[in-house]
Amino acid sequence: MRSVGVLVTLFMVLALFGPLLAPYEPTQINIPNRLSPPNAEWLLGTDALGRDILSRLLHGARWSLGLAFLVSVIGLCIGTFMGLIAALGGKLADWIVMRTTDTFLAFPDLVAAVVIAGVLGAGTGSLIFALTVTGWMRYARVSRGIGLSLQTRGYIVQARLAGLSPFAIARWHYLPSLLPSLIVVWTGMFARAILGISALGFLGFGVQPPIPEWGTMLLDARIHMRSTPLQMIWPGFAVVICVLAINLTGDALRDAVVEQEHKD
Amino acid sequence: MIRLIASLFLRAVVVLSGAALATFALLWHAPGDPALAIALARYDAMVTAEVVDQVRAQSGLDAGFWPAFQDWIMPLLVGDFGQSSVTGRAVWPELVTAISYTMPLALTGLLIGILISVPLAVVATQRPGGWLDRCAVALASIGAAIPAYWLGLLLILLFAVQLGWLPAMGARSPAHVVLPALTLGLGVAASFTRILRSGILEARGQPFLPAFRRRGVAGRDIERDHVAPHAAIPVVTVFGLELAFLLEGAVMVEVIFARPGLGSFLVNAIEARDFPKVQAVVILAAVLFVTVNLLIDLIYRALDPRIGERDA
Repeated sequence: MRSVGVLVTLFMVLALFGPLLAPYEPTQINIPNRLSPPNAEWLLGTDALGRDILSRLLHGARWSLGLAFLVSVIGLCIGTFMGLIAALGGKLADWIVMRTTDTFLAFPDLVAAVVIAGVLGAGTGSLIFALTVTGWMRYARVSRGIGLSLQTRGYIVQARLAGLSPFAIARWHYLPSLLPSLIVVWTGMFARAILGISALGFLGFGVQPPIPEWGTMLLDARIHMRSTPLQMIWPGFAVVICVLAINLTGDALRDAVVEQEHKD
Repeated sequence: MIRLIASLFLRAVVVLSGAALATFALLWHAPGDPALAIALARYDAMVTAEVVDQVRAQSGLDAGFWPAFQDWIMPLLVGDFGQSSVTGRAVWPELVTAISYTMPLALTGLLIGILISVPLAVVATQRPGGWLDRCAVALASIGAAIPAYWLGLLLILLFAVQLGWLPAMGARSPAHVVLPALTLGLGVAASFTRILRSGILEARGQPFLPAFRRRGVAGRDIERDHVAPHAAIPVVTVFGLELAFLLEGAVMVEVIFARPGLGSFLVNAIEARDFPKVQAVVILAAVLFVTVNLLIDLIYRALDPRIGERDA
């Protein structure tokens, strides 16, 4: 658990301060030295336009991790809101919200994200929209499920009898109980968002060049697979390490939450 | 039971109607003028405002949202996917061709996944915490983190570029399916191994197993009759997710390996702004996905009678 925590902190630092560590400008074109192998000057080599790959990776962390963070947090807010409406709003609201959730779950989410981002036109805005629209449903299901199980608890009933508005009950009684489970779900969705952003970038529907996003970098690198195979390794490796670290954190958090529930 | 099936079925119909409406609404409100896109694709340089207007009238784009939706959904209900807005040819035959490339890929991928994960999980759980078990866990964790497109590229790099053992691009021979299927299969293997492993371990921990053992039931029989069905339940539940993974994986993998299946069909249609084709793929995916989940719901209840009707 501790080592995982250290790893995640490291990534956060990387995403925030990575650009400061970058030796070069990520968009600095240097044609004479294009496709250079790793050496003392360019630690990870250069790409087809002679841009420093290490600098691009470090700047890319902000895009890949930052956008994934944004997308997963927006999803968290929307999903929790929908779930609480379903749990607190009575039978009809529950039915409407849950069938809406099912409808959005009817598409394999990456396929839906590809279609949405592709149809709206490539760009960061439609990327965020596509991944948010396809990424809020799990939060809604979890918060509704826990919300329904809370409904008959003594303190909720008392709060209702005391005349607290549904909004206040949701804010002061539901949210604190939901938080641990939602954070576990969130780690999974954060990892998914990183994969989604790089997948869309790789298909050319995501963040647009010259922004150094990891999936887009992989798309560029693919063409030069034969001459400089290493160039293709780095961005993918960065994605794998981040997703792995986040998934392991999620597992550790889940264990902690389950243990806590057993104690209660 | 009949009431249960009816209510699950009704829910699937509601969900699919919503999905159709959502798909159509997205494409209807897409930025850009679809009539202009069609006109450009068909008549290229000869496009004038008049041509665009006539195309708009001809393709029913001037009728407004609900009539257009009706025009699309009514033929769809009897299996008519309409015509490509770019080429004017029927969508369905091209879709069938694409499916005929994706199906073998997905099935081979699934098979590879099962062939790796089942033996691995069974052997790994013989000694929980042993080195083999740790390897299985590591494989499952790393496999879940590797994006399909990167794995595919690595496999091309190793087997096609460096070793030259297998072809990478296109779909001319059966050998062309190996690398893409392996890409998909390794992803499936990772998630199946993880789920099977925890399923088997949980089943082993059930309190009734020592009772069987003390009564002298053979270990092999216990494994087959009590541990295996228990471990199968979580596998069935994630099968829907797995199907989604296969479809998503197919999109990425086909693009990487230049395989003319559903994924390439979809991406090409999006790039050409050929919306009838896009709609066809999305709706097909939704129908498949919802149907499979409906079946899973039913199988799940058959496997575990305790679930009963409470979640209907």
